[in-house]
Amino acid sequence: MKRIINSILAAVFASALMLACTNDDVEPVGTHDKNSVTLEFDNRVGAQKMALGNTTYKNASGEEFTLTRFNYFISNVALKKADGTVVKFPDQYFLIRQSDPTSWEPELKDVPAADYSEISFTIGVDSTRSVSDISARTGVLDPTSYGDDGMYWSWNSGYIFVKMEGTSPVVPLNSAGKRAFELHIGGYGGREATAPNNLRSVTLPLNGTAMVRKDIAPTIHLVADFMKVFDGPNTIKLAETNSVHNPAVAGPIADNYMKMFVVDHVHND
Amino acid sequence: MKHFLLLGFLLLLVVGCTPTESTEPEILFRVPANFPKPLYDLEKNPITKDGFELGKALFNDPILSRDLTISCAECHSQPSGFTHHGHDLSHGIDNRKGTRNSLPVQNLAWESEFFWDGGVGDLDFVPIAPIENPVEMDEKTGNVLEKLRKSPRYPAMFKRAYGSEEITSARFLKSLSQFMLTLVSADSRYDKFVRNEGGTLTPDEAAGLTVFKQKCASCHAGELFTDRSYRNNGLTIQGDDAGRYRITENEADRNKFRVPSLRNVAVTGPYMHDGRFYTLEAVLDHYAEGVQGTPNLDSLLIKNGQRGIALSTEEKRQVIAFLKTLTDDTFLKDKRFSTP
Repeated sequence: MKRIINSILAAVFASALMLACTNDDVEPVGTHDKNSVTLEFDNRVGAQKMALGNTTYKNASGEEFTLTRFNYFISNVALKKADGTVVKFPDQYFLIRQSDPTSWEPELKDVPAADYSEISFTIGVDSTRSVSDISARTGVLDPTSYGDDGMYWSWNSGYIFVKMEGTSPVVPLNSAGKRAFELHIGGYGGREATAPNNLRSVTLPLNGTAMVRKDIAPTIHLVADFMKVFDGPNTIKLAETNSVHNPAVAGPIADNYMKMFVVDHVHND
Repeated sequence: MKHFLLLGFLLLLVVGCTPTESTEPEILFRVPANFPKPLYDLEKNPITKDGFELGKALFNDPILSRDLTISCAECHSQPSGFTHHGHDLSHGIDNRKGTRNSLPVQNLAWESEFFWDGGVGDLDFVPIAPIENPVEMDEKTGNVLEKLRKSPRYPAMFKRAYGSEEITSARFLKSLSQFMLTLVSADSRYDKFVRNEGGTLTPDEAAGLTVFKQKCASCHAGELFTDRSYRNNGLTIQGDDAGRYRITENEADRNKFRVPSLRNVAVTGPYMHDGRFYTLEAVLDHYAEGVQGTPNLDSLLIKNGQRGIALSTEEKRQVIAFLKTLTDDTFLKDKRFSTP
């Protein structure tokens, strides 16, 4: 009996400790405090870590493929507080390149201290910035900054929002003797005339709370599952869709990749 | 006393002028009296002498191409109204052939969309297209900037133009814009005639102007001689260039190309987006007799069920006589714009 009482006491004590931890260890929200939030983009293909080059994956249509390039722009991030108000970050643009691990965990800067429960963002570069003056195109928006990895259409001025390239035995041979696919998705809706718009926005629950404090800069760990590019609301088959360089045909692919993101978890440290 | 004051004032004026007199402040851009308001926002890129000189050097430098062989001036040469004279399709690197005829680089401050399909909507972004086009300069713009940073001449030129040696894409592109914006052609005999500056038209030319106004000016409108629209002018379909459709992907834009200006048209042949017509006579013969009923044919080219524009032999001759009055020799020979 004594042992049972001791166990109960211990359990109560432990619970009390835990409560203490969750309630008191987090510093209070300082009205003027700001910190950064790291957005960790973890690209996967189904249940596998994404690797460029030799690894062969298979989509739901049974098509085998490898990936040689996977890049995407993220912009217009907004965070929703527990009380429902939304904080927007319109001037921060991120370019995630699978080939460059330093680009996988961009930092969202100047986030006001608060508890956040939801994130939203645009996949691509919004139309306002897509037509802005060259002097406003710095960092990842500088159209001269991409090298061979071009994320900008010079002939139809605008950014390539998502660039996906690889090979597949179901793709016909190209002039270079390769069975390569290229899916380049862009199109912000046109400057004057109305043109296809492939900008897509995503809103995701944080699967936890991001607690931004003076001394806490949380990390939001997002998973992007490339398999959803083929097997989302639309079924995309590489045998049929393997060369996309114009906005009009890209809509169904954009509708798929907007479903590829989930928030896996949040670290508050 | 009064005279002394006046003298003093004059002296002050002279003193005030002296320092600048040696450098002769040159007005590099002005709006001709018969032109409308420019569309380019010059406030976001004020033209300076040093910016112009930098842009001119870049325009003429093959360093912009992958193998240092092709400059902008290659396909945009001054005596031909900054076009590629005698080439239906422009030749780029490794003698690769493009798909379209090079357009004149003139009066660009009055344009808001560029190329035959209007794919670029800001002059500052235009140079990226030929630099990165594999059949033109086949280079990466970022690599051009690297080459400029390492060159013995450019860092100092950027410093003169912008105050520091830093070479950014914005500085690079804006200096090219500064040079291109100064290429204003507005001193043809026609201009001197409409501005009452002593230019005269012969009876044939005057008759040609009358015919032109009746039959051509709805598209080649105003003093820029273009309404800046995209139209299908009834060419037989050759090849698979869908024109404006390539940009908007709207079926109504298939086979449509930008209405070009006719300034300096006599020296900017061959004509049409693919340079298929080598003479102005061939162009007018097309409008008179060759217009095809292809999808989206412009409604202005159908009258009373008849395709084309009724033009007699005499009228064609007169229109061509008039078009030649749009040749601006001052512009075509202006030393300020010449290849160094």
